[in-house]
Amino acid sequence: MKPAPLQYVRPASVAEAVDALEEHGGMARVLAGGQSLVPMLGMRLMRPSALVDINDLGAELGKIDGRGEETVIGALVRYSALETSPVIAERLPLLQEVVRHIGDRQVRNRGTIGGAVAQSDPTGEMPLVCLTLGARVVARSVRGERTIPIEEFFEGSYANALEPEELLVGLRFPLAPVHCRFFERGRKHNDFALLSIAVAGSPDADGRWSGVRIGLGGVNDTPVLAEAAAARLEGRTWDTATIAEAAELALEAADPPDDVRASAEYRNHLLPIQLRRVLTDLAGAEPWKT
Amino acid sequence: MEDLIEITVTVNGRAVHERVPARMHAADFLRGQLGLTGTHVGCEQGVCGMCTVLLDGEAVKSCLLLAPQLDGHEVATVESLAPDEGLAPLQQAFKEAHALQCGFCTPGFLMTATALARSGRTLSRDDIREELTGVLCRCTGYENIVTAVDRHINGEHVDV
Repeated sequence: MKPAPLQYVRPASVAEAVDALEEHGGMARVLAGGQSLVPMLGMRLMRPSALVDINDLGAELGKIDGRGEETVIGALVRYSALETSPVIAERLPLLQEVVRHIGDRQVRNRGTIGGAVAQSDPTGEMPLVCLTLGARVVARSVRGERTIPIEEFFEGSYANALEPEELLVGLRFPLAPVHCRFFERGRKHNDFALLSIAVAGSPDADGRWSGVRIGLGGVNDTPVLAEAAAARLEGRTWDTATIAEAAELALEAADPPDDVRASAEYRNHLLPIQLRRVLTDLAGAEPWKT
Repeated sequence: MEDLIEITVTVNGRAVHERVPARMHAADFLRGQLGLTGTHVGCEQGVCGMCTVLLDGEAVKSCLLLAPQLDGHEVATVESLAPDEGLAPLQQAFKEAHALQCGFCTPGFLMTATALARSGRTLSRDDIREELTGVLCRCTGYENIVTAVDRHINGEHVDV
């Protein structure tokens, strides 16, 4: 469990970091929290020529900013900071709830939101919540900065739209609905999720919902939005029949893997049942309170 | 021959200057290069928590840190806990609650609990259990470990 030989680069600024990534011509990897990357290096699943350690870039990448309706989270913001941030509690309560399901104390002390999104684990909680909340990914390289809508970001299992020379510098979240829920089922505590569900939306005074988004994790190569299910719920009050229809429609977004944790059949079995419960709970519930 | 990287790191209050390979993880550095074998190595993939140390006061798994990353930081290992004579209060609590059997996981629990106790948080027994999930024990189950940490943080209870 030792990584292959590699170079270690510790830039003092984002500009130096993207220079280093460019210099290595796509063969370097960014080291943020390292909670997924370092085990993969040890198992030799990856053999980068160099690691570009961005942990000194807290001044540029470690901030949580509420700017008007938008909330901007730097790539190096650690889970433990998200857990306790009053800005996140007020503006992105779903994100704060989800963070508590990630890893354990030691992992949350190191792991970063940027690292999790760049890792693009299809069962990962952070990719799922960023997708559900419609975040935009900000990436920088020597050629400049670009913003990628999260719906276009995830391209496959552990694959995404980042170029190898690009550094994920932050995530920009739009105003989030107050009503949201997160559900996760794994074989055991802190294990990879078999199924995870994140739902957000806003009911009006008559109980008609708008801005409904349903994110699903663990049922496809990437986290996915259950668009047909959300469309069924949009603009309506949620009675039992509507919720049941939406829960079945969510299967359209699922193409789950058969793996050591569960069969595809079992995941397909779980999805409508659990989504129905989550929606029923949300329909009858108060706005999120943490 | 691999490039060696010079680092200066404060370990248990003492500044050390060392040269380390880029790919060496911090647990191997502490054990192999500094001889601090109280930090145990179990899975080397961030699952078991045996190698937990404090990095700038926070509990982290040292097998998931590279030794070069320690440069400029402070590390505390289980060797930092006991005074010259006897045991630290947390260690004493482990002893009294019979919170160890083979003892392999104990450094991981002690360091995780040390950071937890210093956090000043109000913690229920369930909170403590949740905070300790990143360290595995294969001997005994966790009741006595949770009890030791609970007693250390919250004081003696009559029901155990």
